[in-house]
Amino acid sequence: MTILLIVLPIVAGSLLFLAPSGDKVLSKVVGCAVAAVTFFEAIFARGGGDFTVRWLSRPFTAAFHFNTDGISFWIVLLLALCTFCAVLACNVPRTRNFIALLLLLEGAMMGVFTAKDLLAFALFWDLMLLPVFFALAGWGERRDTAWRYLIYNFAGGLALLLATAAFGMAYGSTDVIGQAAHPLAGTWAPWIFAGFAFAFLVKTPVWPLHTWMPATYADTPSPMVAVVSAVQSKAGLYGFIAIALPFASASMHDASAFFIVLGSISLLYGAFAALAQTDAKRIVAYSSLSHLGLILIAIFSFNAIALQGALVYIIAHGLFSAALFLVIGYVEEREESRSLARLGGLGKANPRLAGAFTIAALAALGLPGLAGFAGEIVILTGVVQAGNIWPALVALVAIVVAAAYMLRLLQGAINGPQVADLPVRRDLTLLEGLAMAPLLAALVAIGVNPHLLTSALAMVTK
Amino acid sequence: MHHGMGVDGYYPLLYVIWLLPLLGAVACWAFGPQLKRTAGALGSATIGASFVATLLSWGAATQSAGGALGAHAHLFSWMPGWNFGLLLDPLSLLWVLIITGVGFLIHVYSIGYMYTDRAIARFFAYMNFFVFAMLTLVLSDNFVGLLVGWGLVGLASYFLIGFWFHKPSAVAAARKAFVINVVGDVAIMFAIFIMFSRIGSISFGDVFAHVDRLGSLLFLVCLCLFVGAAAKSAQIPLHTWLPDAMEGPTPVSALIHAATMVTAGVYLVARCWPLWNASPDAQMLVGTIGGLTALVGAILGIAQWDIKRILAYSTMSQIGYMIMGVGAGAYAAGVAHFFTHAFFKALLFLGSGIIIHELGDEQDVRRMGGLMKKLPFAFWCMLAGVLAISGIPGFSGFFSKDAVIYGMLQHGHPWLYAVGILTAGITAYYMFRLFFVTFLGEYRGTVATSAPGAGHAGPGGRPAHAPGWLMAVPVGILAVFATIAGYVLIGGGASPWSRFFAQTFPPESLPRPAIGEGLTTVIALVVVLCGIGIAYLRYATKEALANAPARLARESARMPAPLVHLFYFDDAIEWLFVRPAQLLGEIFGRFFDPRVIDGAVQETAVSSQWLGALVRSAQTGLVRAYVLIVVFGAACFIAYYALAGGVR
Repeated sequence: MTILLIVLPIVAGSLLFLAPSGDKVLSKVVGCAVAAVTFFEAIFARGGGDFTVRWLSRPFTAAFHFNTDGISFWIVLLLALCTFCAVLACNVPRTRNFIALLLLLEGAMMGVFTAKDLLAFALFWDLMLLPVFFALAGWGERRDTAWRYLIYNFAGGLALLLATAAFGMAYGSTDVIGQAAHPLAGTWAPWIFAGFAFAFLVKTPVWPLHTWMPATYADTPSPMVAVVSAVQSKAGLYGFIAIALPFASASMHDASAFFIVLGSISLLYGAFAALAQTDAKRIVAYSSLSHLGLILIAIFSFNAIALQGALVYIIAHGLFSAALFLVIGYVEEREESRSLARLGGLGKANPRLAGAFTIAALAALGLPGLAGFAGEIVILTGVVQAGNIWPALVALVAIVVAAAYMLRLLQGAINGPQVADLPVRRDLTLLEGLAMAPLLAALVAIGVNPHLLTSALAMVTK
Repeated sequence: MHHGMGVDGYYPLLYVIWLLPLLGAVACWAFGPQLKRTAGALGSATIGASFVATLLSWGAATQSAGGALGAHAHLFSWMPGWNFGLLLDPLSLLWVLIITGVGFLIHVYSIGYMYTDRAIARFFAYMNFFVFAMLTLVLSDNFVGLLVGWGLVGLASYFLIGFWFHKPSAVAAARKAFVINVVGDVAIMFAIFIMFSRIGSISFGDVFAHVDRLGSLLFLVCLCLFVGAAAKSAQIPLHTWLPDAMEGPTPVSALIHAATMVTAGVYLVARCWPLWNASPDAQMLVGTIGGLTALVGAILGIAQWDIKRILAYSTMSQIGYMIMGVGAGAYAAGVAHFFTHAFFKALLFLGSGIIIHELGDEQDVRRMGGLMKKLPFAFWCMLAGVLAISGIPGFSGFFSKDAVIYGMLQHGHPWLYAVGILTAGITAYYMFRLFFVTFLGEYRGTVATSAPGAGHAGPGGRPAHAPGWLMAVPVGILAVFATIAGYVLIGGGASPWSRFFAQTFPPESLPRPAIGEGLTTVIALVVVLCGIGIAYLRYATKEALANAPARLARESARMPAPLVHLFYFDDAIEWLFVRPAQLLGEIFGRFFDPRVIDGAVQETAVSSQWLGALVRSAQTGLVRAYVLIVVFGAACFIAYYALAGGVR
């Protein structure tokens, strides 16, 4: 079953290029159908469907080994949901090509998050960059953004590949993810960890490796950036949890202060930078920098509660950032702008759009009762329990700033008097609403009781 | 007798009390276009039903079952130590009764007040949601549940302050209120982190049973909790959002920004009395801040001209009394002032709402005057409210305010005692100033008023025809309670009030202070009468009334600068926090990112420009070509490794 999660979107996405390019409806129907089937597969894939094909036996053993267990399951589910919503919401020119790229992206990321072999992980890691690169090149406003995205992330990918090879040489096998094993030892262990960490930090991203991200998020069409910020940005954090924690915990402990400082800087830097942006997508991009810094702190606090909170927040951030980017896409389609200097007063003619925007923004600013809050409070409880008082205080300051920039974004778009020279368009269509509804419903459900997610991780971490 | 209670004090009716208002909110929100004005009836009915269910639970809430006081209901558990449940004990019972009881009256009033507003269904959805959130706050049996309610009432407040979201001033006021309240939220979060790391539980029962484990961190926990309380309850220096919050419709001001939400801080301190009782330093801090807030709010109340802003500063000041009371250890007295204040302040706001409604949204008292003849019903109701807040014997405020003031002396805070008495005088002055300027003399405005309750032209220019009784009856009922509510305090230690809270708060055996209770009452009364006298001389003598327009204009022109600038609290927050944050954002986002970090990256990239030239030539612009290249490349890659692996 697990392998279908990867193969189906990639095959379907590749075949979609053969469809007539003018037929938007066909592309969208096919795209939705594939995404929906993948989503149901993902639901039923939990813990089952181990797929292994032996690959290398020398110089180390490697296999195409995929499984959907533990934390992988929840991220796979998030990915399938976000892709489905993105395809449903998609309304960009050259629809066929765009939906095909979305499906390819989904398939490649499925590979990353279900790979149980480090080499397969590294392979899909590089593969998942390409659909985004093509989307940036084909639909973005500035070509250098695409190259910056690719060069930054390929640099990370290269480090990952080298580290994987070294890991294989040192350990004898790369078919190791999710298996009870002894940690990596030897003089090379810290360097191997450093290679992984560099790739993970670039991908997340974490300050000061983040400068590719705001431009990328601003230039990528909204449905794709929804998936990228929701899921692709979690690849690095997932790597820290699933790869680094079991095999390099000694190196992680040694370097924990360094990473906690980077996480804290990201938290504050992102929050304050978001305060000064006028492009709606850049506000969300910098808020991502801030929020993901918190998860980094959680991971490097080596505390069971913080780790459970990190999983909740990984899912929560995926849901609210996807929802925010989708809704900003809707705003941009209606007003032909996403600059706060131009927008305003949308709520009067578009109450449904305003409602969806409000819930997404409230989840992002950590409103109690929604998923973002559940993640934040559980993480910080663990962080304080682990004795990291200062990072917790930094996070609390960032939460206050988050309220300021999120409300600035929300109110700037939907409140105030209607702007005279902006077009007045109709409210959310049924399809657009359907694309938002599952994300918002999940934000409420997880916010009320995240126990389902935390219990899943409690099983994984014993 | 177990009053319909299940085993172990498990009490299912709590779910009904808690969730009915949410049901109303969802219905009003989902079916707003269909419901239109019946949304008001639906919203009021759910609140009323919740009130009745609470009354039915009185017995269960006030008896001990299995050693624990009150009725319980379990919800769910996030993880070990994080159990969520509901608790109705005498303290939460009092709050729930006020929230649903006074809330019901204000809901009914709102049907009339909001009659002409097109968004009336949205209004009731928000109002019902607020009641649900406030019930979550006071019914939770743990700190995280309380914090969830704490945040959600802030959200409801945000929605309702910004209800008329086309007004930039309303939008800004809503954001300010929200952000300042988030400061309070994160402070409470930090307290929770410390408590959990020391005690391993979030439930009130566990924490209060192990206060000793907090050790030297106890004061820090109290401090953090109090920052939360101060933000919500408008204590200095976090009070600046409350006057701005008057941008919301007047029933909102009455329910959220007077009777219930802003008293959440009082609830929190009273609920956590085991923490405060164990930390005299924290008691000193909270009592002092409360006293200062009472004084500052009253002084600022002198200088306002907007009828709702006068009431807003008086709310701030009165909550200062409550915080002073519960902070210094006079828990029952502080909570009693919440009880009476809920009635008389809701009465004052709804009464002023009638005036604002009749005068076509006029809120400046300088353009009122002579309303005694035009609006006799509002006159009598406001008179009851003004007498109650001023502490005139026989009216409710007299009993509770005296209890707080005397409590300061009993608990050894003579300075707070003096502040309480002084503030009572100032309160009497500015409230009678409001009363004289509004109701006496000649009418100074331009709006032609009609009979009370006949309605006025709505914002849309359409005539309104809400039945007058919808607004009049709730105000009349509140006037009655604003008068008599204090009688439950008669009898000192044997009063119904003391018996109600006998098992809730710690028993007090305090030394008799030098100044007795009777003498305190006399001193306070003399000061109050002085305040009224000064107000009379300045605003109500024949000469003052004859030259009212000129005198009022001169007074506003000569207003001292510190009062005009509200003691510079807003400016201080702007310059100390808001501007630096924005500046930091500009530096990070517009300078540091593009120049410093990217600059360094580009330095290294220059050396690899040939790479750029190479890839530029490969850019044919056709996505299909790219995809083919990628697929081909990936296939080669896989094939190579597959073969290589197989060969070896």
